Amino acid sequence: MASADGGAYSYSLTVFSPSGKLVQIEHALAAVSQGTTSLGIKASNGIVIATEKKSSSILVDDSVIDKVAIVCPNIGLVYSGMGPDFRVLLTKARKSAQAYWKLYGEYPPTKVLTQEIATVMQQATQSGGVRPFGVSLLVAGWDNNRGPSLYQVDPSGSFWAWKASAIGKNMTNAKTFLEKRYNDDISLEDAIHTALLTLKEGFEGEMTEKTIEIGVVTVPTLAELEEGKIGGETGRPKPTFRKLSEEEVRDYLAL
Amino acid sequence: MNTFVERFTTNASNGLFCGNGAVEEDEEFSDAMWGSEAGFGSLARGVPSFTVPSVSDPAAFLRLHTDDHADPNCKIKIQHGTTTLAFRFQGGVIVAVDSRATAGSYVASGTVKKVIEINPYLLGTMAGGAADCQYWETYLGMHCRLHELRNRERISVSAASKYLSNLVYGYKGMGLSMGTMICGWDKTGPAVFYVDSDGTRLKGDLFSVGSGSTFAYGVLDQGYRWDLSDEEAQELGRRSIYAAGHRDAFSGNTCNLYHVKENGWNFIGNYDISKLHYDGPGDVAGSPGHGYGYDLRVEGRSSVNAPEAAPAVAAQA
Amino acid sequence: MSIMEYNGGSVIAMVGKDCVAIASDLRLGNQALSISSNFQKVFPVTDRIYVGLPGLGTDVTTLRERFRYRINMYTIKEEREIEPETFAHLVSSTLYEHRFGPYFIEPVIAGLSKTPSGGVKPLIAAADLIGCLNFAKDFVVAGTASTKLLGVAEGLWEPDLEPEDLFETISQTLLNSVDRDAFSGWGAVVHVITKDSIISRTLKGRMD
Repeated sequence: MASADGGAYSYSLTVFSPSGKLVQIEHALAAVSQGTTSLGIKASNGIVIATEKKSSSILVDDSVIDKVAIVCPNIGLVYSGMGPDFRVLLTKARKSAQAYWKLYGEYPPTKVLTQEIATVMQQATQSGGVRPFGVSLLVAGWDNNRGPSLYQVDPSGSFWAWKASAIGKNMTNAKTFLEKRYNDDISLEDAIHTALLTLKEGFEGEMTEKTIEIGVVTVPTLAELEEGKIGGETGRPKPTFRKLSEEEVRDYLAL
Repeated sequence: MNTFVERFTTNASNGLFCGNGAVEEDEEFSDAMWGSEAGFGSLARGVPSFTVPSVSDPAAFLRLHTDDHADPNCKIKIQHGTTTLAFRFQGGVIVAVDSRATAGSYVASGTVKKVIEINPYLLGTMAGGAADCQYWETYLGMHCRLHELRNRERISVSAASKYLSNLVYGYKGMGLSMGTMICGWDKTGPAVFYVDSDGTRLKGDLFSVGSGSTFAYGVLDQGYRWDLSDEEAQELGRRSIYAAGHRDAFSGNTCNLYHVKENGWNFIGNYDISKLHYDGPGDVAGSPGHGYGYDLRVEGRSSVNAPEAAPAVAAQA
Repeated sequence: MSIMEYNGGSVIAMVGKDCVAIASDLRLGNQALSISSNFQKVFPVTDRIYVGLPGLGTDVTTLRERFRYRINMYTIKEEREIEPETFAHLVSSTLYEHRFGPYFIEPVIAGLSKTPSGGVKPLIAAADLIGCLNFAKDFVVAGTASTKLLGVAEGLWEPDLEPEDLFETISQTLLNSVDRDAFSGWGAVVHVITKDSIISRTLKGRMD
């Protein structure tokens, strides 16, 4: 017989329980809350997303683990939950961004890309033969229309815009911490420090440039915008999202 | 008189029409070429001769490469867009033509004279190859004059048209392209003959030739009567060419109107077809006093037309 | 006969000072036979973008509907109006989707795009029937009278024309060009797009 909490409904993805829940999605959220903590903070002049990166063994070469990832030059992602599921979503998101570029000659706004990812995740809650994605995402990006924006996407496919949010193991504590620390005119530099302080709460082990990852969105200046969106001979737009190098992370940690 | 004729034909042969020397001298022309030899026998040397492709069968060669309705994909294209019309009525002959010359979709000229004034009593219209029509109808004029000198009377329209018909028949298959109406007034009264480069020659009351002919016929047929007054007849010719110029992409620009009466032809006028559309022919005989355009004619009389005139340049910003 | 000449029609767009203009004739023909003198082939896309679709009549209607669909979807999804440059790419992509069975249309795009500092930048573009984009600084032409339009525009256009002067220039260019084209004409329509208004005028043209 099925487990005690979900009963007979817990194995079927597409059948509501009498209390109106889709139990598999609840389970997916449980998987997310076992994942390492990730957070994002929107500042007045940019966004920071950060995560803790833990290896199961000291023998793992953690320099090739990527939890903060670039989707397209103006959008980045971080996740909490199942790594392989994230990899699939990241690939789909990147393809979607390139398809958008092919159609319109520019990269998608953050909201549009978030919607695309959310659609994929929603479909996994309603299709036969699949399970929901075991990840929550924080999507950070900049676009001409809405400026910097930060979204969170959950396994159900629902998404919200946040000024600051946290997902994963310590999300409740982290959110409480962020609520205390956040204000509307926080600068990007301050936000990065706040992000590190938040991660530090309940961080297991030592926090080094090897055990955390940081991505930032910067807002282009008016002069940069006037220059046009095509950058140099590559025809690529100047990135507004980038990952901080280990050196940069080390410097922030030292402060 | 005869010496004059003799000298003229010789000069023509040596000067104006000097072509391929080999063909020029002692060339035999069959009776068929002339229709009959009667009265023309001595003119053999006056017939122009042309350089032809140096192949064993020039006609077959030309048929392959020149415009012919047997082969619409031929290499050499000649202007086809035109509207010409002529009709016989109680008061003489009305001849009306448009003035557009096109090369493909390009409007090469809007001021072409498509009525060829052969002599004061004969008019020819031009459709098909402009050069072919101009050349052969001018040449026809020369022979009409010779006929007058020889016979001390004007050539009949019938004879003149037959002369042209026989002439072009001799070049059949070599790419000549003409669709013409020979119009005039002779002993029999007003006369119109249709002659084309296939060798067709038709006597009739009413003809229209060219890409816009169907449109012209539409107006012509519903307005034509034998007992039309001069004014009505002129207006009908003008209105018919307008209709063709309006609807046919390859016809237009202006209308040239001629009226042939007992004393020869009169040039009635040149009318801008766009002006006819918006304002009408102006203060002339038979004018309806307003534009020919559909919108103007049905102004205030159709469901889509508001009673008050729409402003020419209406800002709808 | 070329399929592009089956129905006839021409469009031109020109750049002015902080404004753009787009104009077309109004003829719809069936080869040599002129059928209609009010066949619209320039359409509004947004308040600041117009698109001209000269070519095969049936494809004018079809593409117009296709673009309407895609623009509406874009506007809803992105919660904003499309920018001219983005629209140009959308046009290009839409046409190239039919690379091996194209729409017989050569679109012309005219619009004002927003600059980051809050101003406007004129943008005009033309595409061939499979979507090769041509962004021009002065003018673009398309349709059966394109060769003639190119010649006349080359002679009449000058930089930084104010809206009323641009209107005069584009009108004269179009009217005189279509008079030399058998498949274009039968009236004309002109739109001048400025920062705060659109001037649309129907012109009287030769009716032959």
